[in-house]
Order: sequence, then structure tokens, then C-alpha cells
Amino acid sequence: MGADALDAVIHAPARLRIVATLAALPDGDSLSFTRLQDMLDLTPGNLITHLRKLEDVGYLTSATTGNGRASRTSIALTGRGRAALDAYTDALRDLLGGL
Amino acid sequence: MQGTHDIDQTTTADDAGEGLDPREAARLLEQTKREARRQFNLSPPWISAVMGAVILVAYGALWLSTRGQHPYEGPSLGVVGLVYTAVAVSIAVSVKVYRRATAGVSGPSVRRQGIEGVAILVSFLGSPVIQGAMKHYGASDAIVYGVIPAAAPLIIVGTTVLGIAASKADWAQFGATLVVVTGGIVAAFVGPSGAWLAAGIGLFIGVVGYAAATGKRLGRS
Repeated sequence: MGADALDAVIHAPARLRIVATLAALPDGDSLSFTRLQDMLDLTPGNLITHLRKLEDVGYLTSATTGNGRASRTSIALTGRGRAALDAYTDALRDLLGGL
Repeated sequence: MQGTHDIDQTTTADDAGEGLDPREAARLLEQTKREARRQFNLSPPWISAVMGAVILVAYGALWLSTRGQHPYEGPSLGVVGLVYTAVAVSIAVSVKVYRRATAGVSGPSVRRQGIEGVAILVSFLGSPVIQGAMKHYGASDAIVYGVIPAAAPLIIVGTTVLGIAASKADWAQFGATLVVVTGGIVAAFVGPSGAWLAAGIGLFIGVVGYAAATGKRLGRS
């Protein structure tokens, strides 16, 4: 098994960190864009770009409430995203002979 | 996705993972998981350990202040002030830690924690209610102001937390709380002064034990 067995959507530093951070929350919980940005120390534009890629493949969902300055975006890992991270972790473990 | 931020679509330096070595990916994954668990954790081990020490000092002071009293007169005003200060500081630290850990987090677990908090607050009323009833029926000061306030909160609040821990299958919290409840049960039978010592030891072992279990869990890959 080679590195191509790893999910290419997750196998990028920023997206790996996004998915791993959201996976640390209990199932069904979401995290605000601001807190996620603070935790990962990414620029807003960079974070948005990676979130869109993850959202496009159904690994996470986002919801925005309010308008203008009062708006709040929450991001949550989907069941599919959690399963993808588990599969990615298993694939890494197989590649490296145990994490 | 986020209307309040400027979108810099060109900043995608690590968009592709071709250059990411699997070993580096594994290290990054574990480091991120560990850091996220630490940041979302409601009971940082070192704070719990400090609280355990504060509890032991406060209850120890209550025991020393009341040891050898015949009849039981209760702790000195200075010790009562120390205990109230310790309780106020503990509550302030807990609230700050909770707010920091749950900032930006929403969903079912946060709602559940709110309900659990209400249940625990209500259970704290149990001890003063029993004290009032005991006083009403003419129980001695040793019972009303010694045994009950030392033992009852540990038993009543402890059993509430036991139920919460069991419902979450949090066996570290369950075991630690069982020690606390046991301390309360022992406190109920060792006299008004010894009750403070037994309660303090039970709380100390429970809180420090939970801190150790949490530290081990957070450090585990």
C-alpha cells in the first residue's frame, strides 16, 4: 500500500488539522469559524478555501446565522467526514506499521 | 462561508498533500488531536490537582478548628472565611475554564452540560434542606452544623454526579465520584470534627485521582 491510498482531500496539512480538530468535538457539535481559525492559526481566506473543499465532498457542514457583523458561522464534521478520518488514520497506520 | 472576513483565495500554500510524508502526516494528526482535546477539555489536570490541594487545606483547617470541641461549637470565623474564599476562587476558576473550553462550541453536548449543571446546582440544595429539617426537629449543633454539612453534600451531589458519569460512560469520573461519595458516607459516622477530615480526604483523593486519569487520557495518542 502506498501514499496514494490516503484520502487526498484530507492528506493536506491544513485540511488534516481542520478535520482532526473538529473530530475532537462530541458527535453533532459544531465550532465557530472564529474559534477554529484561532486554534489553527490560519488566515480567514486560507481557512475558507480548505473548508469549501471539505464541504464539497461532504466531510463537513457549515451554517451561518445572523447578518453583517453579527453573523456567526458554525462548522461541524459530518458522519461521512468522521468515517473518512477514521479510514485515513487506518490507512496511515497500515502504511507506517502502527501509529 | 464567513461574511465578516476578507476572503484571500490565493493563500492556499498547502492545498496539495503530495509533499506531505505519511510520517509527518501521522505526527501532525496526533499533535492536532492532542492539542484539540486539551483545548476542549473542561477539567485541566493541573487545575484539578490544585483544587484538590485547596480542598484538603480547607477541610483540614475545618477539622483542626473543631477538633476536641465538647460540646461542638463549629469552626472559627477565620476558618469559615478561608473556606468561603476557597469556594469562591474555585467557582471563579471553574467558570473561566468552562467558558474558555466551550467558546465557539455549540450543539447537543453543550445543551446536555447545561442540564447537568442545573441538576448539580439543585442537588446542592439537599444539604441545607436536611440541615433545616434537623434543626426544626431539635437535632444537636454537632449534627446540624458538623456532620450534615460535611457529609451530606458529598453523598447527595456525589450521587447526582455518579448518575451523570454513568450516563456518559465516563468511568474515570464515575470511579472518582464513588470515592467522594464513600468519603461522605464515612464522614456521616465519625463525629462532627472527624466528619470534616473524612470528607476532605474523600474529596482530595477523588479530585486528584480524576486529574491523574484526565492527564493520562489527554497524553495518550
